Amino acid sequence: MSVPRARILDLMKVRCQVFSTTFNPEGIRTGNKILRQRLRGPALASYYPRKVSTVRDLQREFKSWELITDDEEQDDRLEHIAGLKARGKGAPKKKKGPPAPTEKKGKR
Amino acid sequence: MSAFRAKKLDLGCFLNIKTIRDHSKRKAFEAAETQRQALRYIIRNETLPARTRAEAQLQLTQMHCYTRPTQIRNRCILGGKGRGVLRDFKMSRYMFRMHALAGDIPGVKKASW
Repeated sequence: MSVPRARILDLMKVRCQVFSTTFNPEGIRTGNKILRQRLRGPALASYYPRKVSTVRDLQREFKSWELITDDEEQDDRLEHIAGLKARGKGAPKKKKGPPAPTEKKGKR
Repeated sequence: MSAFRAKKLDLGCFLNIKTIRDHSKRKAFEAAETQRQALRYIIRNETLPARTRAEAQLQLTQMHCYTRPTQIRNRCILGGKGRGVLRDFKMSRYMFRMHALAGDIPGVKKASW
């Protein structure tokens, strides 16, 4: 005893109403799967850490208040350079103006 | 593409052109994601006329490559490396090892039994 298809479809329709699902007997692709997906953009865009305030920002902020801030790294660097200069091992001074024309080397 | 690059960088991690590029790709994807999803929906929807779907396909393929999610690659935030990056720590395996052994990563301990 076979049940007619129309009756089965009716049953499916009622079942969909009861359980509030979409009635799609032909199985047509409606692309709703795309709409159900969550947006991944915000999660992906926040991968790299954002810039946080640095010692330099602090200094710039407090400059107008005439407060002194310590930048240990910068102080260490300047101290190191001063040491090098005292020993005569510092970087050479920057040249000013165009270089003087060199004499041609030839046989004397 | 420098057109996608932000005028002022807001990154606090290791900087080189590759991380900057990847970051701008992420931003571009975020901006264009809703449009991409809408086009993808039109393409997948079989109840729409074939012509509309074909047009949507064309439009999606003609969008700039920076707006594609497949262009995004997780890079090491400490060295910018693109390979061997641990997703949980956003670090390349060697950076992870160094920091884990130094005890800089909370909850990570060298296994020993």
